Amino acid sequence: MSEVRVKTKAQLDPIFSPRSVAIVGATDKPGTVPYDILANILRDKFQGPVFPVSPGKDFIDGVKTHKYVVDIQDPVDLAILVFPSSVCHLALEQCGQKGVKAVVIISAGFKEVGPAGLEREKKLQEIAGRYGISFIGPNCLGVINTDSRVRLDASFARKMPDPGNIGFLSQSGALCTAVLDFAQARHIGFSKFVSFGNKADVNDIDLLYYLAEDEKTKVILLYLEEVSDGIGLMKAARDVISKTSKPVLILKSGRSPRGAAAAASHTGSLAGSDEVCDAAMRQAGIIRCRNIEEMFNNAIALAYQPLPKSDRIAIVTNAGGPGVLATDAAYDEGIRMAEFGEDTTKLFKRSLPATANIKNPVDVIGDAHSDRYEVALAGALGDGNVDGVAVILTPQSMTNIEEIAQCIVRKGHGASKPVYASFMGEADVKAGIGILQRNQIPHYSLPESMCKAFAAAWRFQRTLQRDHTAPAEFTDVSRDKAKALLDKALGEGRHHLPEEEAEAVLATYGLPIIPSKLANSGEQAATFAQEIGFPVVMKIVSDEIVHKVDVGGVVLNVGDAAAAKAAYEGIVGSAQRHKPDAGIKGVLVQKMLKGGEEVILGLKRDPSFGPVAMFGLGGSFVEVFKDVSFRVCPLNTTSITRMVKEIKAYPILSGARGRKRRDVAAIEQCIQRLSQMAVECPEIQELDINPLIVMNEGEGCFVADARIML
Amino acid sequence: MERQEIEDRVKKVVGAVLKIDPQTISTEANFVFDLGAESVQSLQLVGGFEEEFDIEMEEDKALAVQTVGDAVAFIAQHVG
Repeated sequence: MSEVRVKTKAQLDPIFSPRSVAIVGATDKPGTVPYDILANILRDKFQGPVFPVSPGKDFIDGVKTHKYVVDIQDPVDLAILVFPSSVCHLALEQCGQKGVKAVVIISAGFKEVGPAGLEREKKLQEIAGRYGISFIGPNCLGVINTDSRVRLDASFARKMPDPGNIGFLSQSGALCTAVLDFAQARHIGFSKFVSFGNKADVNDIDLLYYLAEDEKTKVILLYLEEVSDGIGLMKAARDVISKTSKPVLILKSGRSPRGAAAAASHTGSLAGSDEVCDAAMRQAGIIRCRNIEEMFNNAIALAYQPLPKSDRIAIVTNAGGPGVLATDAAYDEGIRMAEFGEDTTKLFKRSLPATANIKNPVDVIGDAHSDRYEVALAGALGDGNVDGVAVILTPQSMTNIEEIAQCIVRKGHGASKPVYASFMGEADVKAGIGILQRNQIPHYSLPESMCKAFAAAWRFQRTLQRDHTAPAEFTDVSRDKAKALLDKALGEGRHHLPEEEAEAVLATYGLPIIPSKLANSGEQAATFAQEIGFPVVMKIVSDEIVHKVDVGGVVLNVGDAAAAKAAYEGIVGSAQRHKPDAGIKGVLVQKMLKGGEEVILGLKRDPSFGPVAMFGLGGSFVEVFKDVSFRVCPLNTTSITRMVKEIKAYPILSGARGRKRRDVAAIEQCIQRLSQMAVECPEIQELDINPLIVMNEGEGCFVADARIML
Repeated sequence: MERQEIEDRVKKVVGAVLKIDPQTISTEANFVFDLGAESVQSLQLVGGFEEEFDIEMEEDKALAVQTVGDAVAFIAQHVG
């Protein structure tokens, strides 16, 4: 879980902006990692002294070496360790003796190779802790800072990227080199480029905070293979976004289902590790990307252009078909096609051919030169109903591609609205695309990608306006009573609380429970049913029976005493046939509510993100329909309202097709209480309320069944 | 074989592979960190010890031989 241990700027500055660098373990063999790192630092003109440390060589490429770090007379701000893993600890120890406080450990052969490597890594952590060293790695590609005052390429990438305002952090070194090549082809530059490897010391959270304070970084990209501290990551992202407005984009691999194995509850089964990760990232305002291309499509929109003030987009095109594709894509992304004002329409009528389409998408027709694009862009950018412009070009024989690109650059620069472009094709449009890319007009190979990026930028604008009010706390709850019930079960060695006990726990946090009684005979069931009032529901109660319907353990709509007695005997008999070894505690007799809607509320304690709440359409088939939403607790009212509205079945609750609106406010209050309970009762590992029966607006909602896993 | 003889012969091998004066090699010296052995040379050292002492060094045991002293101790265990 989250540690309160974040590296300070002062600790990380020597890694990114050192005044001097030592390469410890350097060799004179081109094509080896140690040599290539030294060569990169020298080639890319690091703005300070460079000290190769090589026990076997006196000179490398004309640069005098030192046998040991401690032999270097001058101060060393940053050491790059490239020795084999077996001796890295010796090198790190000497760095500590020398007073070096910042290290990048490139060497592989640590945690990633197994137990022996893990021991070596722990040794590094111990030495670093003793000397107050901050280190990146081990097992990483290195660190790049393109700032002209530094020009540090302490990596074995093929070349230094162009300077830019995108910061890239990666857990995979090999992916870094592919990303660098991908970015170079698209003229995308970086402020800082970091491969952080095994994150044995400096981790992704430290680096997020560091880039938040970095004046050269406008957008932060992060590739992760595992989320070791979900709570910390969410907090860091929220802090970065709320304090600096810098977008945080994450590509996290490992989406295939793994984490839902062996779940005992519906919630546990539905809340797989990636579903939770997805929900958590959205909640924190992180833009989660599905692949590298999407990540950079979004990044250039956010880095190069202002955020749109609304989702009203204007499309300018010289081809009808692609214009329609873009319009369809806008619809799919939930963004609106702007309606031009009168002045804009007049301008287009006056200045564009009669055959041009002057509504949105504006089609300047296939034989258009740059002058028509100039008019269309001037009109769209000047229209108060438009908050972003997407420009499409297809290369006809007369299309002056490069002039049109220059026109877009001219009109786009200094505009308060974002301008994006899609020059469709590849060979003929290449030069024009280069002009756009070099001038920070985001370019997309397809109009659909362009609209997706615009939508992402618009959603990020809305993220910046989110409500961050702390969750309200209910005072009419009793943590002590809940704890007593939970401790009693744990003390008896029980980890599953069946319905009656689970509902008693829920009642301590003010969740509304339907009146019920536990019967131990048919006669008693009949008596209780008469007391509660018909009709009733009758349900088997057993620690060993989790899914009651599956064993014939539920009878609905019991209407009289004789039926109650018969239902008791039937339920117990069926349960015993299905599960002969189950201990039967009795049969719960419960008031049956009619006319309500069944929803499910749940909790699951995720190992990385902590307690996660679930809401959705309920009933036995919840795992079939999977119409559920997740949020990481604690939750404020805005999060809860969004969570409830997110499910596809929400219109059923809000009163679709002439139905009455259900008591959504009561659902929201239940979720709020559950969120508070999740935070205050760490004993609870999983919890299902299924169903929560929601009556009409003003009539409340009621827990009709529940179970808790400890 | 006497330990001193083993040590002298180990240092002779190390000197030949790493092209350094055996007289300057200390027993505590780490092949990589102090003497600058690169990965190919590490393999050559293993081969050199095997040939000099007519022994076989299994890979996982060879990995544990990090210093001159480690090599002397290993060889002392495996020769008559």
